[in-house]
Amino acid sequence: MTVALELALVVFVVSTAVATAVLRDIVASIAVFAAFSLGISVIWLVLQAPDVALTEAAVGAGIMSVLLLVTVAKTARASDEGALVSVNPRALAAVGLLLLVLVSTVPALPEVGSEEAPALQKTVDGELTPYGYYVEEAYNETGVENSVTAVLVYYRGFDTFGEATVVFSAVVGVLVALGGSRRWGEE
Amino acid sequence: MTGIGLFAGHQYQIAFVLLVGVGLYTMIDAKNLVKKVIGLNIFQVGLFLFLVSSGYLAGAGPAIIDGEGRYVNPLPHVLILTAIVVGVSLTALALALIIRVYDEYGTLDEEHIQEVMDGD
Repeated sequence: MTVALELALVVFVVSTAVATAVLRDIVASIAVFAAFSLGISVIWLVLQAPDVALTEAAVGAGIMSVLLLVTVAKTARASDEGALVSVNPRALAAVGLLLLVLVSTVPALPEVGSEEAPALQKTVDGELTPYGYYVEEAYNETGVENSVTAVLVYYRGFDTFGEATVVFSAVVGVLVALGGSRRWGEE
Repeated sequence: MTGIGLFAGHQYQIAFVLLVGVGLYTMIDAKNLVKKVIGLNIFQVGLFLFLVSSGYLAGAGPAIIDGEGRYVNPLPHVLILTAIVVGVSLTALALALIIRVYDEYGTLDEEHIQEVMDGD
């Protein structure tokens, strides 16, 4: 049952990604991309990552679609001939080569969900790994039940600080880029 | 049959490879600049899928600690939360620059932009 659900989700996500790539109309592309984000956020739920699922649904499917649609509204909706883009054999060959290399490494990776996976070992040579530490000690040390929040704020606070810096820089960049925009300013 | 058996339990990693491929192809091939940004986002999501699935433990609950139990690894979730927000910042900046490009050249098509630049 779970395997069937997982496979269905994976097929849905990959096919919406392909549809996003091949649709010529940009608004149709954006609509399918929103469906893709929604599918991915369900996958995050199945992978027991509710925090990531919430962020993806709000940011990926919500804010991202709005940003893309606003951009199209401010610029042009190109309406060329044909509903689908024509395949570029050289790009396809280059990407196919990369995929061949990547796929050949997949059987060597640990199976998803297996207890043998290196990321799921609590101790290595008698010492706690980060995973073991976050699961065993984080609650006693911080009193936060959700260990994602504990790690985000308590142990990796500098990451979050860096993230805030990136968001601030991006806002400054957007304002500078649009500050000289004639179309944007006159409305 | 053995060929398929080799990939059993790897469905998320296969999806990662395919999403990276679709995203990369869109970035290379798409003529529309907005479409290239969408390709970049698909590429990113592929990588997120690889990282989050590496911390997944079958039958375990989310990493919300209530006594003894099996939990998934919270670290990839934290990294991906940060990466999603950074990705949106990047997209917003790219789209603002695309609006400026449209102001200057009157088109979003890569080849038309090149023609306009050559014409100047």
